Parts: sequence; C-alpha cells; structure tokens
Amino acid sequence: MVATLLVAAVVGIAIGAFLQKGRFCFVNAFRDFFAYKDSRVTKGVLAATLLTMVFWGIAYQFGYYQGFWTPDWGLTGLLGGFVFGVGMTYAGGCASGTLYRAGEGYLQFWLTLLFMGVGYAGFTVAFPTLESTYFEALTFGTGATLFELTSVPGGLVALAVAIGGLLVYATLTGRSSTAAAFGERADVAQLNPTALLAPVVGLRQFGRGTAAYVRGLVRAWRNPIASSKRPWDPRTAALGITAAAVLWFSQVSIVGVTGPEARWTGYLLSQVGVDAASFDYWGSVLFRGQGVGITVDMVMIAFVIVGAFVAALWSGDFSVRVPKRRRLPNAVVGGLMMGAGSRLAPGCNIGNIYSGIAELSIHSFIAAVGIVAGVYVMTHWIYRDVGCAI
Amino acid sequence: MPSIDDVTNAPDELSDDRADELLEEADLVQDMMGEVCPYPQVEAKKGLQEIDSGDLLVQETDHVPCTENVPRAVGDDADAQVWRSGDAVYRIYLRKR
Repeated sequence: MVATLLVAAVVGIAIGAFLQKGRFCFVNAFRDFFAYKDSRVTKGVLAATLLTMVFWGIAYQFGYYQGFWTPDWGLTGLLGGFVFGVGMTYAGGCASGTLYRAGEGYLQFWLTLLFMGVGYAGFTVAFPTLESTYFEALTFGTGATLFELTSVPGGLVALAVAIGGLLVYATLTGRSSTAAAFGERADVAQLNPTALLAPVVGLRQFGRGTAAYVRGLVRAWRNPIASSKRPWDPRTAALGITAAAVLWFSQVSIVGVTGPEARWTGYLLSQVGVDAASFDYWGSVLFRGQGVGITVDMVMIAFVIVGAFVAALWSGDFSVRVPKRRRLPNAVVGGLMMGAGSRLAPGCNIGNIYSGIAELSIHSFIAAVGIVAGVYVMTHWIYRDVGCAI
Repeated sequence: MPSIDDVTNAPDELSDDRADELLEEADLVQDMMGEVCPYPQVEAKKGLQEIDSGDLLVQETDHVPCTENVPRAVGDDADAQVWRSGDAVYRIYLRKR
C-alpha cells in the first residue's frame, strides 16, 4: 500500500510538473489549431498519445499491466463528449489543464473545479433515471479494446497504429508544403508533386523537426538550471507524461482525471454528513461497493496539483490570480458542462483522448470525436467576431 | 498545416528597460490581467483592427500561455515581442505591420 501511494505521488507530481512546463493543454491543442492553425500543442498531444500507445501495448503484451478502462460504447460517447468539449473550451481549460492551473494559483480554475464537482453531484443524483433512459437507449455494444480483440501481440498492434498515424501526419504536412513550394514557383513545376511524394516529404520534414528538437534538448542540458525555468517544448512534456503513464499503467491503471474527481466529490460530501454510498453512482459504480474512501487514483490527481504548483513556483509562474468578474460564467458554466459531460460520455479528454486512444478503446474513439467536435463548435462561437482559420 | 520546424521559435524577449520604454509609446494598452485563453487572443485580433500600421499594441497579462498564443494568433499581422517580469506578469508587444 505504501509502495502504491509512493507511485501515486511520483506519477502525480511528474504529470503535474510536465503539464505545467509544457503548457500541455488539450483545449489549446484543438482550439488554436482550428482558430489559426497553430499545431504546436497538437503535436505534443499526438506524440504523447502515440508514444504511450506503443509502450502500453508492449507492457500489455508482456503482462506488466493491471487493467484497461473500457466502458460500453454507443452514442453516449458522442453526446457526453460534445458537452464536455464545449464546456472545456468555454472554461478555457480541459480536465488536466484545470488541475495544473489550479496548481499555478488561478482562483478561476479552483472555481471551475468546484463547479465540476457540482456537475458530478448533479449527475449522481440523476443517475438512476439516466441509467434506464439515456444510457440504456444509447449504448450499443460491450466495451472493448483492440488490444484484447486481436491475437496479434499488443506491441505490434500499437506500433502499426502509431506508424499509420505518423504516415497520415507526414502525408498531410508533406502535401501542404509541396503544394506551397510548387505554388510559388509554378514555372518550374515540371516535377509535379504526387500523392506518393507527399509522405516522403512529410517524413523528411518530421525527421528534420525531430533532429532540431533533439539538438535543442542537448543545448538545453548544457545549462540545466536556467533551462528548467524556461517554458518547455510540448514534446518534452509528451515524453515525460508518457514515462509517468507507463509507470502508472504497469502498477495501477490507465490515467484518468474526472473519474477520480467524481470520487473526490463523493468522498468530500461524505465528510460533511452526506451518505454518498447510498447513491448508486458513488456507492456501486465509482467506489464499486467497497465503501466511500480515498483511492490511490484520487491521491494521484491531488499530486498533479502539487506537481504543477512546484513547477510553477520554480519557474516564476506561480501567483494567486484573481479572475475578471466577466470570466466567472466561464468557470461556472464550463465547469458544470465538464462535470456533467464527463459523466455522460463517460470520460474526459485524458480518459478518452490521451489514455483512451492509447489503449485503443472503442468507446474512446467515439468520445474523442465528440470532444473535438465540441471544441470546434465552441471555438467558432468564441471567435465569431474575428473568424477561424479552419 | 505549418511544418514541424516552426514549433520552437518563441517571440523575442525584451529587457526590463526596453519594455518600460515601449510601454510609454504604446498606442493601445489592453488589460488582460485575470483573463484566460482564448479571450486575449480574440482581443488582440480586435485591437489590431483598431490601430494603424506601425502602431504598437501592448497586452498586460498574468496568463502564462498567452506569451506564445497571442503572437501566434495574430500571425503575420504584427511583429511580436514579450517581456517576462519573473513574478507571473507578462507583457506582449505587438507592432502592426
């Protein structure tokens, strides 16, 4: 037990610190890509997800894992994910982003967390009705991951999917850059770019980009103290988060945020006299009939806030920030939508985009589409006066 | 889609003195303390629509990601520089092209 708690502390602090240093925000990753085609953080998210997939696949293949998280799949993922995606864009931070900014001293995001708690509690009260109507009607199949569905070794499945993802990425970047290059010099366009050429160009760009990144990393190591205070490349955060997630996967489970948060809500309410265990959702679903108490994943996400706090303090980014009054609706409404949406899906951006895709869960593919669609719609609404790129 | 090479270039950083000098000559100052993404990005784009070419827009913010997101959001519309106070206050200087 002590060893598991130590793992929870190490993993939580590491994830919190890497999130803070890399400004690893899933809202940023998708919103800024839609708004002005900034794919800096998007690349970090993709790298973290694909790398984690490969290492989890290998860990699964050799039996170093405790279990997957595979809710039954259906339209709930799409609907709940959409509500969550709209909520996190409005709030200005995803489930993990809210945690690390709480650690940076944003009162705004403590308020968001509070209203996510209200969302969890509201969902719990409505759960018996929702179970027989919403979940029953919209769930189509039993939860599963592609790792368990195929007899191919997990490491190979993960590698194949990751390489496939890289090729798609290379094709897209390669095509846009060959199009740009040949568009500018139309007179020397006898070497017409073909669909075959695009992945090669893209892969070379990827190789050059990665080499430049590694050179930057080596330079940064020469002056470790100064570099540790500077903002880090999201890809560095991706590497660190992957390492922490692999440790977590081998010892406890996949990385989730809103599930443990919903348990915190039940636990805290039980401390002030509410009989949380008597509610189906807390008693038998979240705490699995084992009584309302503190579980190891609850400890882990609490340490995410601690890790972000320490990293922010070290970098000179910590400060108690008082929100503008006109931003309060973002915390209240955004928090409520994230709380409720993450239960309706179920799962948040971490459970469904990062962990869920990395564990190749069918439910999470659907929920990830819902979340990204929610971000897309909300981004267009917020940018209605100035316009979006995509 | 941008290439992976343009991932790492952050805007130039200003010295403390230069940052104060430039703040004096700013044509438009936006108070973004207590704001969160993406509102500073949206306000910067709106602000640049209001000022003339060559004018300077300064945003003062306590939101860490803004130092990168705001310059990226305005893209080719302005040249960006940032100033970090070291205690969680940042200024973003945007000179309209």
